[in-house]
Amino acid sequence: MNETNHDHERLRVAVDIGGTFTDGVATMEPAGHIWVAKSPTTPADPGQAVSTVLEDLLRQVDETLGACSEKLQEVVHGTTLITNTLIERKGVKTALVTTKGMKDMLDIGREWRYDIYDLNIELPQPLIDGDSRVEVDARLDARGEELDPLSDEALDGVVRELSAIDADSIAVSLLHSYNNTEHERRVAEKLQAAMPDKAVSLSSDLAREIKEFERTSTVAANAYVKPIVARYLHELDGRIGSVKEGTPLRVMVSSGGFCSAKTGAESPILLLESGPAAGVLSALNTAQQVGVDQVLAFDMGGTTAKACVAVDGEAPVTHSFECARVERFKRGSGLPILIPSIELIEIGAGGGSIALCNRMGLLNVGPESSGSVPGPACYGRGGTDMTVTDADLLLGFLSSKNFLGGDMHLDVDAAQAAAERLAGQLGVTAIDATWGICNIVNENMASAARIHIAENGHDPRDFTMIATGGAGPVHAVDVARKLRIPRVIIPIAAGAGSCLGMLAAPPRIDRSWSSPKRLTDVDWLEVAGNLEVMRKDALTELQAAGATEIEWSVGAEMRYEGQGAEISVGMPLEALSSKPGVTIEDAFEAQYKKLYGRLVPDAAVQVITWRLVGRAPNTGQKFEWGDNRIRTTPAGSRSIYLPLRKAYAEVPVHDRYSVPAGTTLQGPLILEERESTIVVAVEADVTILADLTVSVTIKEFD
Amino acid sequence: MNSVERVNNIKAEDVSAAQSGFDPIELEIYWKRLISIVDEAAAAFVRTCFSTLVRDGNDFAIVLTDTKGRSLAQSTMSLPGFIGCLPATVRHFIDLYPIETIKQGDVFITNDPWKASGHVHDVTTVMPLFHRDELVGFAAVVSHLPDIGGKLRSNSSREIYEEGLQIPMMKLLDEGKPNNILIRMITQNIRVPEQGMGDIWAQVAGCRTMGERLQGLLEVVSLDELGAEVRRRSEKAMRDAIRAIPDGVYHSQVQHDGFEEPVIIKCALTVKGDEIEIDYTGTSDQLPYALNVVPIYTFAYTVYGIKAVLCPDIPNNEGSFIPIKTSAPEGSLLNPSYPAASGGRSAIGHLLPYAVFQAWEAVMPDRIWAAGSPNSSLTMSGEYRSKRFAVVNFLNAGQGANAKRKGFSATSFPANLGNTPVEMMETLAPIRVLRRELRCGSGGTGTHEGGSGLSFEFQIMDDAPDVMTSFLMTQCKSPTKGLAGGGAGKPGQLLLNGERIDPTMPRVLKAGDRVLMETAGGGGYGTA
Repeated sequence: MNETNHDHERLRVAVDIGGTFTDGVATMEPAGHIWVAKSPTTPADPGQAVSTVLEDLLRQVDETLGACSEKLQEVVHGTTLITNTLIERKGVKTALVTTKGMKDMLDIGREWRYDIYDLNIELPQPLIDGDSRVEVDARLDARGEELDPLSDEALDGVVRELSAIDADSIAVSLLHSYNNTEHERRVAEKLQAAMPDKAVSLSSDLAREIKEFERTSTVAANAYVKPIVARYLHELDGRIGSVKEGTPLRVMVSSGGFCSAKTGAESPILLLESGPAAGVLSALNTAQQVGVDQVLAFDMGGTTAKACVAVDGEAPVTHSFECARVERFKRGSGLPILIPSIELIEIGAGGGSIALCNRMGLLNVGPESSGSVPGPACYGRGGTDMTVTDADLLLGFLSSKNFLGGDMHLDVDAAQAAAERLAGQLGVTAIDATWGICNIVNENMASAARIHIAENGHDPRDFTMIATGGAGPVHAVDVARKLRIPRVIIPIAAGAGSCLGMLAAPPRIDRSWSSPKRLTDVDWLEVAGNLEVMRKDALTELQAAGATEIEWSVGAEMRYEGQGAEISVGMPLEALSSKPGVTIEDAFEAQYKKLYGRLVPDAAVQVITWRLVGRAPNTGQKFEWGDNRIRTTPAGSRSIYLPLRKAYAEVPVHDRYSVPAGTTLQGPLILEERESTIVVAVEADVTILADLTVSVTIKEFD
Repeated sequence: MNSVERVNNIKAEDVSAAQSGFDPIELEIYWKRLISIVDEAAAAFVRTCFSTLVRDGNDFAIVLTDTKGRSLAQSTMSLPGFIGCLPATVRHFIDLYPIETIKQGDVFITNDPWKASGHVHDVTTVMPLFHRDELVGFAAVVSHLPDIGGKLRSNSSREIYEEGLQIPMMKLLDEGKPNNILIRMITQNIRVPEQGMGDIWAQVAGCRTMGERLQGLLEVVSLDELGAEVRRRSEKAMRDAIRAIPDGVYHSQVQHDGFEEPVIIKCALTVKGDEIEIDYTGTSDQLPYALNVVPIYTFAYTVYGIKAVLCPDIPNNEGSFIPIKTSAPEGSLLNPSYPAASGGRSAIGHLLPYAVFQAWEAVMPDRIWAAGSPNSSLTMSGEYRSKRFAVVNFLNAGQGANAKRKGFSATSFPANLGNTPVEMMETLAPIRVLRRELRCGSGGTGTHEGGSGLSFEFQIMDDAPDVMTSFLMTQCKSPTKGLAGGGAGKPGQLLLNGERIDPTMPRVLKAGDRVLMETAGGGGYGTA
């Protein structure tokens, strides 16, 4: 290929650090060709794997297109570094500066137990030790007015005490700072002057919300990882610079937006859920490509399955989250984190989840997982517990010879032995137990998704499922069938979904301010003024990110006065130009009725937070393989379990990339690829789209 | 024994009855769905509620019952005391409103302590649930309202009439039509009607959500058949667990501060085969103070203690209750006669799980906790900056250590009440919180120390008018006992401007007054 014909091209790279592997995707735009690379994650120095992946990608691009590396435009990045540091408690020594009388706040928490019956629960331990907390004698009231001033002597005292503690990072959280940031700011200025080598984090910078424990927990987590993330992003920036100097590094945040490496280093806690967020964005991009707007994004890996209900190309965002749970699927057993993140449904069922007969003689699957060692019984590594992967193998959904492209052989006899043991305990046949495992996992996911779909008054029959993850395509069609979702899409490179999501996400800026007021007391000129200031500011940033056409929308978090939870209403910015009070109130009432059935008589409507979102239109990003994947492997066949017939039958098995685009096959069938297996165990039309995306239209539901 | 009320009047079904039509796989699937439907209803209630008692305090529960008022599933984070009460409330409504007269859109309401959850401050609503025009069950929800009128919730109340508005068993909605007379009565009688009525409407929203979510499940399974099977399984699990305990009568005695003299709770727990009977004969008489515990609440917390020890992992429903019966002599503190006052009943009711633990000290010392302390609370009302306020804040205490670890500090048990954020307290009432700290050294000594109580100190704002205040405090004279040689916890105390005061009477606090509430530490485990 002659590179001089491709002057307008730009090369973008996404790298995602996962627990096991660091994945990378390079794309050459505008054509949308992609190259994929993967390398084991290097926990001691995560940047090392990133460099390996980056170099591998550039080599592949150069091999295909000739020397192209200098077209590198930007690197986008997501990481589980923050989550892992918090789970493994490997952060830096951190101190807390808090209001006088409040130093035990992190130990006291909310005083309740996350399981009402279990007398042996383990409570989450604070990230900051009791002897690393300093109190400051200054006070604001609930309106943010000063009751006791913050004196210079008090500040000197804080510095003195902190010097004795000698922490690397300092979290500052003072009462009522959600209303007035002045005292926290002055503490920060003092610390920066007196101890410039310490990283300082302020609660009011991260979560301006009334709830001191949750806000303090958030800033503590930020401080705990900050020096590590800052160093890491700095080194990563250097490594990318050495490939091509001046290449900007953008970091994905949990809400599905991006920030600069500099902001990421300041507020690393915002990056907490960047991986799952990117996965959802990838699904949304695929949805855009195939022209559907009501989407259930479904991802299933080794230990969990996740789903996200997205309507009109928009993933729902929640503002509270919990990380590093003592018991992963128990709410309240973790550290509360108040950051915007894409709302996901998570259930404790993945390929490695263990199936057992519980005390009531019922079949339970997960949340305990066999991990990779000893792993499922069929791995032959000493595991004897029956897992979801064992069930998938016995049902014929996975091939004993072609797992991971044939790199790993699965032991059918070991799986069968485990199945028979379990069946004996349950008092059912081995095949009933085996299908039961699959059925329970699929039903649990369908059940959780059904609730989220119903919550907003939608009908699953209008939805399309986008399936990713190693185990996602194995279970997706059956989950969809249970939900009566008629169509399932399995994108290409499903294993590298997070990276594609990062590359596809359009530039987007979110701005917000909180000003709790009754709707009748809102000063609309002030609101318009604030929105305009933010719009101008956001515009500059969006243009810098390459956006030309920009869509603006306004959101309001609203509730009846006295309630503690808000509901979101949104509308285009122009909708507020006339009679804004009526427009907003109508939108609130419509949404409230939809969610809860009836309005509250005689209650005052309040706006708590205003949001402005500016984004480039989501035109979607088309991806195709940069290399030539199409090969011709003849179709084979094997016997798989057909749940609706309650029997095994011989079905065709195709190599996914041997079926040419435009072909429509009839299910039941199996499509295999290295990263996963697409299982269609019902009658369906299975069409290979132009970009090799697989589209399954289910034709029988029960 | 005369005049014993048997609370659990539901007939045991034949546990050994033939297997139902469910296999162990589909049953697991439907059962999970049933529980998640009730959790959804709870989430809707919390999102739409108006008081911090529900969203911060967690002072509520929701259950689903069948058409006979038998509990089938409950919200996961329910308050233990309410779980046992709600199904009984549904049964009282069915007794009063014959089942054939119940229509879609009806919603029942009451706060009758004997019929509902033990004090007038909790309001229960019950909504019949229909599927294809047929009554299939009931959604029932109870929560503590921020105010119910009358005197502030205080142990000093001598009769129920002082405690606030009594709502007999009535309809709040009649085929969807609001009962405006009742609503006006409630609105007129409570201090913060927008919060109180707001919470009641939120309860209705929760019930409605349950009804809607149930529809899909009922397309594929009959609630009666599913209900029978889940009850049968939970009952069997409870019976199996009971059978593992040696038959015998196990005794214990726990003590509460009381007033002129301490209150004694005497417990005789009889294990016979796969059933348990608890007899509270010998317990102190009912009091002319608000500590009286109605029988259903006695039952609820006794069963909770048993279930937490024996089968914490089994989903709870009516089946879990059936093998257990409680009784107490009429006119005793645990079976009082109308018009006994009961606003502070949790201080007594919450001791019942400890009574169960202590009874089993000899047979299962490794599975129980040393004694800890129930919660305390602070209730305030008045007007500040031309706005009326009425707030309830909970303070938890130290819990007992066990064979494996220290006691939990400042943790709610056996209830599961959360604290209110300091920032929220200061927003809602004219106080400045000076400290909320762990009360170091308050836990009993032992190989494992008891948990610490709390030190909570606040001051009335300088510009505030008088604030009516009531303290419910417990274990101020009777320390929590240690286990297996562990030391007792430090008792709680209440100080006003540095002076120790009696928490019984409500007080008018003046601008600048300083209050220190210290909750008890938990008992230690093992000889230190």
